[in-house]
Amino acid sequence: MSWVTWRQHRLEGAWSLAIGAALAAAVIFVAYQLHAASCGGQANSYCFSNELGGTIAQGIVRLNLYQYGLVVLPALAGAFIGCPLVAREVENGTHRLAWTQGVTRLRWLAVKLVLVFVPLLAVAAVAGALEVVLINQLGTTPNHWAFFDQQAPVVVAATLFALALGLAAGAVIGKSVPAMAVTLVAFVVVRVGLAEIARPMYIAPLSYKSVDLNTQTGAVYPSAWWLDDPSYYDNAGHCLGTVTFNGYRGQAAYFVQHFQPGDRFWAFQSIESAILTILAAALIGFTIYWVTRRLS
Amino acid sequence: MIAPIQATGLGKRFGRTWALRDCSIRIPPGKIAGLVGPNGAGKSTFLHLVAGLLSPSTGEVTVFGRSPRSHLIQLLDRVAFVAQDTPLYSGFTVADMLELGRRLNSRWDQRSVEQRLRDLEIPFDRKIRNLSGGQRSQVALGLALGKRPELLLLDEPVARLDPLARREFMQGLTASVAEDGISVLLSSHVVGDIERVCDYLVIISQGRVQVAGDIDELMGNHHLLLGPRTDDGPPPSGVEVIKTSHTERQTSLWVRGRVAHLDDGWREQPLSLEELVITYLSVPAAAALPRPELEEVPA
Repeated sequence: MSWVTWRQHRLEGAWSLAIGAALAAAVIFVAYQLHAASCGGQANSYCFSNELGGTIAQGIVRLNLYQYGLVVLPALAGAFIGCPLVAREVENGTHRLAWTQGVTRLRWLAVKLVLVFVPLLAVAAVAGALEVVLINQLGTTPNHWAFFDQQAPVVVAATLFALALGLAAGAVIGKSVPAMAVTLVAFVVVRVGLAEIARPMYIAPLSYKSVDLNTQTGAVYPSAWWLDDPSYYDNAGHCLGTVTFNGYRGQAAYFVQHFQPGDRFWAFQSIESAILTILAAALIGFTIYWVTRRLS
Repeated sequence: MIAPIQATGLGKRFGRTWALRDCSIRIPPGKIAGLVGPNGAGKSTFLHLVAGLLSPSTGEVTVFGRSPRSHLIQLLDRVAFVAQDTPLYSGFTVADMLELGRRLNSRWDQRSVEQRLRDLEIPFDRKIRNLSGGQRSQVALGLALGKRPELLLLDEPVARLDPLARREFMQGLTASVAEDGISVLLSSHVVGDIERVCDYLVIISQGRVQVAGDIDELMGNHHLLLGPRTDDGPPPSGVEVIKTSHTERQTSLWVRGRVAHLDDGWREQPLSLEELVITYLSVPAAAALPRPELEEVPA
């Protein structure tokens, strides 16, 4: 079964490896250029050299290729590799060939899952880890929150989730192309939903209060994730609003702003990864049920 | 000998539609059995139930005495299935397909499959998608025979082939199974294909089995009686009338059994297999099932 899986999916494997390698090369190149320009002292700034290497690195950063890449590629892996895994067999009727050889459906599916998913997860892990290396070159106190979706645990979990989603959609719908559309939409809904609604509340946020209305909160806690705009209050404790404080000149006495501190970053990564992994496990379990009991 | 296929009260429902109902048949070992019926009659459903691709909604089917539901692993090596439209991986070469067969089946016979395909002049390095329909079917058959199955199931294997490729396929099939004594069940909606190779016939229509029996016996036992027009006369003794039709001056009776003597003006004609099948299909209520064998079904 391993050989059959390899023979069936080697093209996808080559593509994934090529894209993963290109991404890794870009990240390593930019990280090296940042390191060589020794701009570690200037927080969150890109100070590349004016030489050719620096210019190229600057271009890569401007286009934000790897930042988008690490968000979009898992979804594409789910759609283009996850969906056809079962759906293409059903579309072409080859599942009836495969399932009447001397191998049970469960084994057939298990081998495919291991041999197709695991290498892709490894590629995602390498890309996510390189991203951490890159972010650490961005300054003395890099703000990891800005690249939450691009770092190692979450990138791996998101890739697993996308693949499981594609697999399940493909198995249930039985046609690759509609399954791809469903996968992409569902993936975006889940990831945006988690990021926008659930993520700020994984752990109760802290509040920062200051009577100095000129305080730059970003400078106070450079590694924090600021969840909202400052809310301005008068002396009686009435909320005036969140418009820039010049609007409340003379009335505002202090402001409050909510944040997640930098030292919670890896806890948040673990929580979101766990959520995505549990969803993926449920989808894979469902697919196993569907393939062994419902398809024919 | 254990029957390769035995069904008892077998039924399969998809949603609210019954694709197969109350099907009780026993196909004796060593036969090449043909499963005929119109499109949508339940032929594929029956084959899928036997191959373990589907689970029955009611009743039971056993293959060599074992249920494909609970003993699929033991049966997968003994049963080969060529599904409708002979699905193969179109991006694989012929050699790749054989490698697949070798890796997934414990009793695989590489040498005989290679020999077989070489005799048919099928290029091993060509991709499946570049083969002709006939070659493709031959590769699918080769793959199935390479498993060295005891039971071979084929679902409309020649439906898409031209007459010449049809004949070649059927000849290859008969030659191969004759050597090894493989039991075969093949479905077709073309009676001519069945007639050429099968010695056992199952007619299935609207989800029900109408006829099951040895083709020679069925042919010897069914006749067309032609005589002067008799609207409500008693049926000839000793036969069961399946279908009656009248023209202005003549009455035709399709009967099972043999009349002891024919009245004046009546004559008996043999039926071709095709006529026999069409007669039954046009009278869905008629049935010819070997009753004694059904009594052997264990409780």
